[in-house]
Amino acid sequence: MDVSSDLNFVECSPAVVIDKVSMTYRTTSRRHDSLEQKRSKSSRFRRLQRQTTSVRVPALKNISLVVGHGESVGVIGRNGSGKSTLLKIVCGQIPPTAGVVYASATPVMLGVNAALLPALSGDENIILGCLAMGMSHAEIDRKYDSIVDLSGLESAIHMPMKSYSSGMASRLRFSIAASIDPEILIIDEALNTGDAQFKDRTLNRMHELLDQASTVFLVSHSLSTVTQLCNRVVWLDDGELLFDGDPLDAVKAYRLFTQKFAAGDRIGAMKLRRRLIHDLEVADVLNRNDKRKSRALL
Amino acid sequence: MNVPQPTAVTTSVNLRRLKRVGARPSFLDYLVSLWDYRHFIYYDAKARVRTGNEQDKLGSAWLILSPLLNGLMFYFVMGILLHSGGKIKNFVAYLIIGVFLFQFTTRSINASSRAISSNRNVIHAFKFPRATLVIATNVRELLSNVPVIVTMLILIIILPPNEQISMRWLLLIPIIGLQLIFNLGFGLIMARLAARFNDANHILSYGMRAWMYLSCMFFSIDRFAGMPVVKSIMEHNPLYQVLFMARETLIYNATPSWRSWTILALWAFSMLAIGAIFFWKAEESYGREL
Repeated sequence: MDVSSDLNFVECSPAVVIDKVSMTYRTTSRRHDSLEQKRSKSSRFRRLQRQTTSVRVPALKNISLVVGHGESVGVIGRNGSGKSTLLKIVCGQIPPTAGVVYASATPVMLGVNAALLPALSGDENIILGCLAMGMSHAEIDRKYDSIVDLSGLESAIHMPMKSYSSGMASRLRFSIAASIDPEILIIDEALNTGDAQFKDRTLNRMHELLDQASTVFLVSHSLSTVTQLCNRVVWLDDGELLFDGDPLDAVKAYRLFTQKFAAGDRIGAMKLRRRLIHDLEVADVLNRNDKRKSRALL
Repeated sequence: MNVPQPTAVTTSVNLRRLKRVGARPSFLDYLVSLWDYRHFIYYDAKARVRTGNEQDKLGSAWLILSPLLNGLMFYFVMGILLHSGGKIKNFVAYLIIGVFLFQFTTRSINASSRAISSNRNVIHAFKFPRATLVIATNVRELLSNVPVIVTMLILIIILPPNEQISMRWLLLIPIIGLQLIFNLGFGLIMARLAARFNDANHILSYGMRAWMYLSCMFFSIDRFAGMPVVKSIMEHNPLYQVLFMARETLIYNATPSWRSWTILALWAFSMLAIGAIFFWKAEESYGREL
């Protein structure tokens, strides 16, 4: 890594600092054909006998980002590129295998995955979910009606959640999750649920939330949503950062990349990928308050 | 092939106002946050009591039916076939107290050890102190145990030889209170172990069964009168003390000795302290999938 000599000062304190975060999942794989195994002419049956092996899947490789107040960051990338993993680490759901995330306030994930108790009715789930988010009874009383309104469930709110359709359940989950006004907001594909009528309502609430929150992370496959709502785009591919900057530039390069893939031009796509990585500048985070490091700088 | 590397730009940031995401609070802050979540604990426990047996046709009746059937089975095997309770006065009541009260601990600890793994989706969805899940589990078991205890008392009263109801029976409340504290402490330890190693659940079910046999559920400790060392070890088993003290109070019209109270209280509170610290130490890791 060629470290450039110029020092980048971030004047005011940032909202979120992601410092060299890596994440490796450990899982099992049914087949693991290493080179030796392929070379040795053992029969297919033999090979299948050594059924499951433990494999390590790197989901994020040494990611660093500094995000200031007032920035809304769109995260784009192909399936399995590590977008959701990154957001889960930023909001503290899962601890990274290496690296640290700092934030100026508790980041809140707004998704449709806020799982609740299926045996309880919708209204009970609202109360339970709000309590789990740390609200007081008085606060819940104040917000209860707006949550029910946003979910649009009407009389179904009194039925157990296991009787809901998947769309109804995700509407309820979204409405519960959207009932708080966080300073750092993380949105994972939440815009894509529900029918057209619900979409209008969520979009309104989403804009309210975006106005209130000082910093936003948004994962979406809809590039138009990203360009509309974000003023910075981070592009992840295979756990690596490919691009960090202006949304329009990012979307242009991303479209080119996916077109090459769709056309079967793997070599062209990889060339583009290499060029992007080569042009990329990543933050090497240095804590100004860390006396030991600052002395080394002097 | 050379792998391109991005340019690293040294970025100096002021981290003074920032906190590490997901960082575990200090132990005292953690206890305070548990208190702040008391409404969540109680609501969760209450909701789960109500929906716990919903899929069974007999519903909540199973709370009482299962210890009843258990007790019948032990009475048949131990009392009639093996005569293990030969010298015990009022063996039926002796056995009922053993089965019903031990079940409380078995159920609590089993449920606690699954509290993290069965609630992973709730853990992923919301940010709250994870120990609330284990506490809620224990509160739920306490709530669902109230009708069980009432049934136990009714059985002791109506089955011959009948027992006299006295004010001393109120001592059962502190006994069960200490048992609850012990269960919670032990459950917190098991919850962390099972969250990391799912296998702990399997070992636990054997361990609880062995513990049940060692707690004098259907025989008297007088069997070990000839072996003072064994008897003394058995007497320091907290669950033996729970059963012993309850029997003294309910059947034998005696107030449990200070020695018994001390042993049980020491076990309960030290278990809770150890369990709470042990669970808190891994607070950041409970979101991780196995």
